[in-house]
Amino acid sequence: MRSGQFTWQGQTISFRPGETIAAALAGAGIGDLGRDGAGAGLRYFCGIGACQSCLVRADGRIVEACLTPARDGAVIAALEPLA
Amino acid sequence: MSRPQEHRCDVLVVGGGTAGMAAAVELAATGIRVEICEQSARLGGAIHRQPADGSPAAGLPRALGAQWQRLSQSLAHADIVQRTRHIFLGIDSDGLALFEDRAAGTVRTVRAAAVVLAVGAVERIAPRPGWQLAGVTTAGGMQVMMKETGRVPSGRILIAGNGPLPIALAAQLTKLGNPPVAVIESGDPLRRPGAALGLIAHPHIASEALGHLARLAVAGVPWRRAAALTAIERRGETLFATIVDRGGRTTQIGVDWIALHDGIRCNAFGLPASGDAIDSRPLIVRAGDCREALGAIAAEADGRRAAHAVIAALRGGKIARDGSSRRVAGQRMAQALLSELFRPVNLANDPRHLADDTILCRCENKTVGDLRWLLGQEGLSPREIKLNGRFGMGACQGRFCADSVMAITAASRSASVPEDIEQLTGSRWPLRPVSIASLAATETPTADTNHPTE
Amino acid sequence: MGRRQQKSAIVVGAGIVGAAASYFLARSGFSVRLLETVAPASGASGAADGAVSVASKRPGAMMDAALAGVALYRELEREGVLAGLFTPRPTLMVAETEAESAVLDGHAGALANAGVTVERHVGAALRARIPAIAPGVRMAVEVHGEGHAIGYQIVNRLIEAGGVAVERACPVHRLALAFGGTAVDGVVTDQGTLHADIFILAAGAGSAALLGLDGVLRPRKGQLLVTDRAPALNVSLHGSLMSCGYLLSKATTGTPDRSTERRYGLVIDPLRTGQFLIGGTREDRADSGNDLPAVQRLLTDALRLMPALAQLRLIRAFAGVRTATADGLPLIGRAAGLQNLIVATGFEGDGICLGPLAGRLVQQMATGATPEIDLAPFDPGRFALRRQDA
Ligand SMILES: Cc1cc2nc3c(=O)[nH]c(=O)nc-3n(C[C@H](O)[C@H](O)[C@H](O)COP(=O)(O)OP(=O)(O)OC[C@H]3O[C@@H](n4cnc5c(N)ncnc54)[C@H](O)[C@@H]3O)c2cc1C
Ligand code: FES
Repeated sequence: MRSGQFTWQGQTISFRPGETIAAALAGAGIGDLGRDGAGAGLRYFCGIGACQSCLVRADGRIVEACLTPARDGAVIAALEPLA
Repeated sequence: MSRPQEHRCDVLVVGGGTAGMAAAVELAATGIRVEICEQSARLGGAIHRQPADGSPAAGLPRALGAQWQRLSQSLAHADIVQRTRHIFLGIDSDGLALFEDRAAGTVRTVRAAAVVLAVGAVERIAPRPGWQLAGVTTAGGMQVMMKETGRVPSGRILIAGNGPLPIALAAQLTKLGNPPVAVIESGDPLRRPGAALGLIAHPHIASEALGHLARLAVAGVPWRRAAALTAIERRGETLFATIVDRGGRTTQIGVDWIALHDGIRCNAFGLPASGDAIDSRPLIVRAGDCREALGAIAAEADGRRAAHAVIAALRGGKIARDGSSRRVAGQRMAQALLSELFRPVNLANDPRHLADDTILCRCENKTVGDLRWLLGQEGLSPREIKLNGRFGMGACQGRFCADSVMAITAASRSASVPEDIEQLTGSRWPLRPVSIASLAATETPTADTNHPTE
Repeated sequence: MGRRQQKSAIVVGAGIVGAAASYFLARSGFSVRLLETVAPASGASGAADGAVSVASKRPGAMMDAALAGVALYRELEREGVLAGLFTPRPTLMVAETEAESAVLDGHAGALANAGVTVERHVGAALRARIPAIAPGVRMAVEVHGEGHAIGYQIVNRLIEAGGVAVERACPVHRLALAFGGTAVDGVVTDQGTLHADIFILAAGAGSAALLGLDGVLRPRKGQLLVTDRAPALNVSLHGSLMSCGYLLSKATTGTPDRSTERRYGLVIDPLRTGQFLIGGTREDRADSGNDLPAVQRLLTDALRLMPALAQLRLIRAFAGVRTATADGLPLIGRAAGLQNLIVATGFEGDGICLGPLAGRLVQQMATGATPEIDLAPFDPGRFALRRQDA
């Protein structure tokens, strides 16, 4: 388990060992994760994969930010382009 | 049909929380081949969530700390295959258990003689205008973040809802150096002396709660009882919460974070039904909070109870009795007392009072008004509410809207209220959305012939 | 009470066919009771893809019926009855191999002969027209004038527009006959025997038990998948993508086979929600389960045509059971020598397309008007029906 960095919407975010994408983004003060395809806002909520409202696109795949460990060099983006 | 590389085991335990770990340990002790799978990167579940950096967890009451020692040590010494970052997708119509292996990016299958489902609980969150905003989490979600990172959110935090969990969260935040601005509680526990006296028979619960309250009192955190948070609004960087107090007076509090919690319910959404093995279908048993949400002490005992039921079914013979069921019953009484103690007296969160534009189903972006409009039709069935209204059809599969949809439907009286929430949420795989790339990366079955489609 | 007694009808089954029959009968002055075992659209109509399409039909009676079916959707959309529920969009039939291209060309010719506008795309024009198409696809035939409708929405709208009262949880147990077995006297339900002037049997799979159609009607299960929303990708696919692979196989919907072999006919349908619906299987069984091999096969086939789907998630899988007939053609007409009984069932995978049409045909028969299409191929009399009365 290592620390590292990924990009969120082009911005570099550091994470600590073992941290999830959600935790690293929260640590960087990012809580608004954009919108999903239905136009609903995305954000960290339940922390256990149940609510499906923390979705991000990580290296091309849609995943729950709260369940997915951050990976060094990963490219993370909002599902739909941010306004 | 031939299926290449069918992976087999005796018992598959789904969910690596207290109940799942206890069941796995008990089963393995009899020589049964057990696999345990867990969606997150580490075992532990709701109560024993381990810090992300591998450091030991801190801050649990003594009885629960001992529980973790017991379960994690036994598991480490037992011959149990542990699969983390495996999301259980369900059991297909051919009896095959399916997982998404998130690390490998594939779907895995297991053919098991028995499956113990121990996927825990989810929190109940009553919808309120603004509950869908960024900065609003569940109380449990805030705990998860704190347990994993060891950090508290910075800025002003407000906790609102019902029950003992908001107080526990408030005490943790206080201990880590950022006490919340207030805890809003819809019940009025100090005016229920009967229930409070009953809890004397459950000293671990009583002493834990008193410890939390003492910490809050020392830090000067207000515990506003018989009050309800009825709306949230974002203005600039600040979330404004509307609080209705005992006398019906309304105030607003501006904060950075809001943690909501209106109770706990079984995470039984979409799960395959419990029952004996039939044809290719395995024996299916539920354990812990996903059978009955009674807390960590009960979950350990219930995991054992489930294991004994499985052992008896696989090996023949009577179900072993070791007091597990009695312990579960004791916790059931304790939880009933807690429910009575915290019974809401401020009913401002009753879904009947909600404004039409309140988001009810976040996944499908459906409002309370959408449901009310639908309920204008006489005699609507649960299936029509689901199909025509799309409630329970979204990615969370009703985990956060089904209870409220049922409550509003019941209040409208025009529709036939589903007796069972399953009529709304259904029971089919995938229980969780699953990557199409992962599914396609799994071994493809032999090709059949093509045929026209409609 | 008026001097001229209003005629009454009982319709059995609140799927799309029963809902449409009720609507058209109510419109022409019948008082209609719609009896349903469970709830509207709880059978195949609520678990179907919604292609309103001529593209996949083989020339002959079914192609002619589909043309009339699509035209009726347009008409009802224009009139406002189905306003907003019919999405016009082409079908994009695609070929991956030389052999497929050849049969697809032939099929396009047949469609053109039937008066359908078709357009052939290859090379750069194909990629420009369908940007998400896989490099392996050689050719596409765009079939114009088609559309999509969601079964349960149509059912809901027709019931509402007809002002028809649905009686939910009201199973019909059997027909009670009169006049020496030449007419239906009533239908036997838990509320007793209910009477009407005419009876419409549109009970899908449930029709067999009421009419003794068990050798004739058979279940044909179809598994379907729904993805995440992907608005941009969804909009880039302007029609329903259909593999023409089935044209190469000898099997047709009409093959009277009892094999349990599973067949696949791949369709990728961009839904208005921004999701994709991917279908489907044809299996000679009646359960509603989903199994991994079928789901995987559908997804692998879909990815072969449209690789960008790999970035999405499967959010739901379900299965519906179509009611098929032994010869692949539906039953529409008077049945079993019963003068006041009209049967309309056995539409297999075409009931969403043909349902409204079937409803209007029922009304035409009931009022003594000339049916708008030739019903001879669909005459239930072609099978010897064994009545389950007594
Ligand atoms: C927010 C919250 C706070 C609580 N606080 C307390 C407290 O202070 N004191 C107390 O006694 N009790 C508390 N409880 C209750 C206590 O945590 C539980 O009763 C106990 O931990 C239940 O154990 P379990 O094994 O049944 O469930 P869990 O511990 O929740 O374990 C279920 C496991 O299944 C996994 N899982 C879920 N779905 C899938 C899937 N599809 N695929 C793979 N894995 C999956 C989850 O990640 C989880 O690890 C709390 C519960 C919650 C939700
Ligand atoms: S926060 Fe609920 S799924 Fe991630």
